[in-house]
Amino acid sequence: MKSVYLLAAAVAAALMVLVALPVGFVSLQAVFPHLGEGSLRAPFGAWPQALGDPALWSLLGQTLGLGLGVAAVAGAIGLPLGTLRGLCRLPGARLWDLLFLLPFLLPPYIAALSWTMALQPRGYLWQLTGTDLGGLLHSRLGVILIMGLSAFPVVYFAVSRSMAASGARLAQVARVCGASAATAFMRVTLPLALPAIAASLLLAFTLAIEEYGVPAALGAQAGVSVLTTAIERRLADWPIDLSGAALLSLVLVALALTAFAVQRAVLAGRNFDTTNGKPVPLAHAALGAWRWPVLALFALVAFAAAGAPLAAMAISALQRTLSGGLAPGNFTLANFAALFGADADAFGALGTSLALAAGAAVLTGALGFLAAWLVAGRHVRGAAAIDALALLPAALPGVVVGVGLILAWNQPFWPATPYGTWVLLLCSYSCLLLPYPMRYASAALAQLGPTLEASARVHGAGVLRALWHVTLPLTAPSVIAAMMMVFAVASRELVTSLLLAPAGMQTVSIYVWRQFEQGSVGAGMAMATLAVILSLALMLAGLKLQARHAAKV
Amino acid sequence: MVAPVSSRTMIRLLMALTLGAGGAAHADTPARALTVYTAGPGTLIKQLAEGYTRQTGVRVDVFQATTGKVMARLEAEAANPRADVLISASWDTAQDMDARGLLLAHQSANAARVPERLRTATYVAQGISALGIVWNSSTGTPEPADWADLATPAYKSAVTMPDPALSGATIDLLLGLQNAQGDAPWKLLAQLRDNGMTVSGPNAQALTPVLQGAKAAVFGGVDYVAYASIQKGEKIKVIFPQSGTVIAPRPMMILKSSRSPEQARAFIDYVLSEPGQAAVADAWLIPAREDVAARRPPMRDIKVLEAGAGEAQGGREQALARFAKLFGQH
Repeated sequence: MKSVYLLAAAVAAALMVLVALPVGFVSLQAVFPHLGEGSLRAPFGAWPQALGDPALWSLLGQTLGLGLGVAAVAGAIGLPLGTLRGLCRLPGARLWDLLFLLPFLLPPYIAALSWTMALQPRGYLWQLTGTDLGGLLHSRLGVILIMGLSAFPVVYFAVSRSMAASGARLAQVARVCGASAATAFMRVTLPLALPAIAASLLLAFTLAIEEYGVPAALGAQAGVSVLTTAIERRLADWPIDLSGAALLSLVLVALALTAFAVQRAVLAGRNFDTTNGKPVPLAHAALGAWRWPVLALFALVAFAAAGAPLAAMAISALQRTLSGGLAPGNFTLANFAALFGADADAFGALGTSLALAAGAAVLTGALGFLAAWLVAGRHVRGAAAIDALALLPAALPGVVVGVGLILAWNQPFWPATPYGTWVLLLCSYSCLLLPYPMRYASAALAQLGPTLEASARVHGAGVLRALWHVTLPLTAPSVIAAMMMVFAVASRELVTSLLLAPAGMQTVSIYVWRQFEQGSVGAGMAMATLAVILSLALMLAGLKLQARHAAKV
Repeated sequence: MVAPVSSRTMIRLLMALTLGAGGAAHADTPARALTVYTAGPGTLIKQLAEGYTRQTGVRVDVFQATTGKVMARLEAEAANPRADVLISASWDTAQDMDARGLLLAHQSANAARVPERLRTATYVAQGISALGIVWNSSTGTPEPADWADLATPAYKSAVTMPDPALSGATIDLLLGLQNAQGDAPWKLLAQLRDNGMTVSGPNAQALTPVLQGAKAAVFGGVDYVAYASIQKGEKIKVIFPQSGTVIAPRPMMILKSSRSPEQARAFIDYVLSEPGQAAVADAWLIPAREDVAARRPPMRDIKVLEAGAGEAQGGREQALARFAKLFGQH
């Protein structure tokens, strides 16, 4: 058993370094404004001024407004579409699922920049039709719509799965007992799906208040100023204000944690078990004459959420000059050629992102699996603390983790520090993405049950031997799928990369962002296109892996 | 108990994997590398770093961002300084750092042909940009001739301006206009705001909407970014206002905290050498040395404002705060 405790201690130590340390230093800095000088004087010294500052309340109000708006838009699109997908026999259902995964692949800041190129005055829309939507684009509603379009798949997938799993079958029972279709939906299907709907809307809200890229790209012109951009501004623009950044970070974390806690409570309190007993083939309603309008609706949403921004991205990457517009002679592959040509920066950025993402995937995969195993098997005391620490980053905004890592490792008292090296980037990606493998592995372990490992133990295997030869192989597909997800998200992470990347190092997201800062839209978009194609290939490979595993089981 | 994989082995494996992955991205620790923090343009510093490395064999790690972000990073790292050389787009930042005693003295032999007002004991110009109006000629707006034209109804909601909190050259423009004309430029900025002018990002980013035509003109754009775009075939024009404008020399300095001051000196010498200054000219800046030709209109064609009445109005921080208040930034 000694080795189990050693393992538990190692996992706990890793979680302390990755999660507890940055969060702890954000709290310390918020309380002690002179922390950087190694002094704990004047605790709460920055609070009266900060709390009395009308800017704080404006930021808080705007952040809440943005989060609620995005949740509303995501719900307005995701609910009806998810319901149709879950309950009806939809032609090309799997194709629509795949298309609605695309917004996940398109980093929100690239979507925002693409929409700008398409909709601003004299943008692509104007060049094609003579009208532009610049007014809408540069308004609060525009920002909400763009973020809602990239967040709605969260609602769509949750709703469609929940409705398909529970609703259709029980609603049929209601119909048999004499209820009308509308009554069956309102009284049976909808209430059963409510927890999933509420949880997914809360997730959309959380994603929106934590988002940095879209408000950073569009906020200035739209008059939108939210907590994430304000934190980055206090930290990364001269003159810096560490205490202010830490304080706003605490406010943002409190918001995100509240939403997260409510989401967990909603799911935990009203868990209607509808999938026990033997499997029954799903009963889907036929669409009949509604088939074409419904398909048109799906196509419209797919175009708005994925087609249009992807097209604007690709067109921008293919243009020689922006002022040349959509003229035939203005198209070129030069921007792509430059990526592979003399410009070693682009290649270096791609290599850095891929290597760091691979490192984060391996680290979080191993750590998440071990943590989930320790928690699931209750092998050691304090498992609850490990569980909480490993899932906490799900509610941590990227910008806060970036602030925390800088505050933690830039103190003069460390004899050696990873600050200013790639290690810090690895830490931030791993911290932010740890919940994915943790959740996937927990779910897989829960399905496994304790008997297999116990029988291995009965036959004389040690705990670690049983872990290595029995549990790990059986949960590996889930963990690998989670690691691919980590890879895909880490390879495009923006805000902590901007804050933490050392001199001389660029990631894909930094490269794209800097190209835009320097006015080289074509080069930035070419890199963005390449990155999207890469993550698409990865995701398809991941889906295939999961499907093959599912077929085997 | 026999465990085929001990926890220690597992952790070692894990560390090896992650270290290996990261190592591929960034090889050895910077034993003899020089760290340069610089404001844009990225292409220029890349050329300079490559030329210097070819000459000396010393690798250069570059952090290139906007002046605001470069200064913020320096301040954040005050306890653990990393930068050896700093190149800013704002002369004012060098004066400030010099006053705080953060700079190392260096008299480069190559600086002999740099005009005296562009060099001091501790900092020297890399090159010079001038600020002006960048105008898209295909937007159907009249060609502006002076700053105030952009506040007229013809340019309603058609003007954009870089954010002085980010762009070093833009804060130099604000300070220069204020020094020459006192309160007048602030009144003009308020008129521009009421005329629908937007403030967007650092210098080059403010140019992007003008390239596509979403905006007609940049108020206070740096000329070299625009010249580079014109070279690429964009239909824009750089106009230096009749009433006068500001030039922004880009100061280079060595930080006292530098751990390789000799290499830092050699780097400054290289930038001021003929090939270094030729690279500066290739980036469409005016070279600091008078004996290296610029590839764009020289300084004598630009009416430069002289400091005057408003000089005592306070420095950068006050101007930034006033600007942020005027445009409602948080």
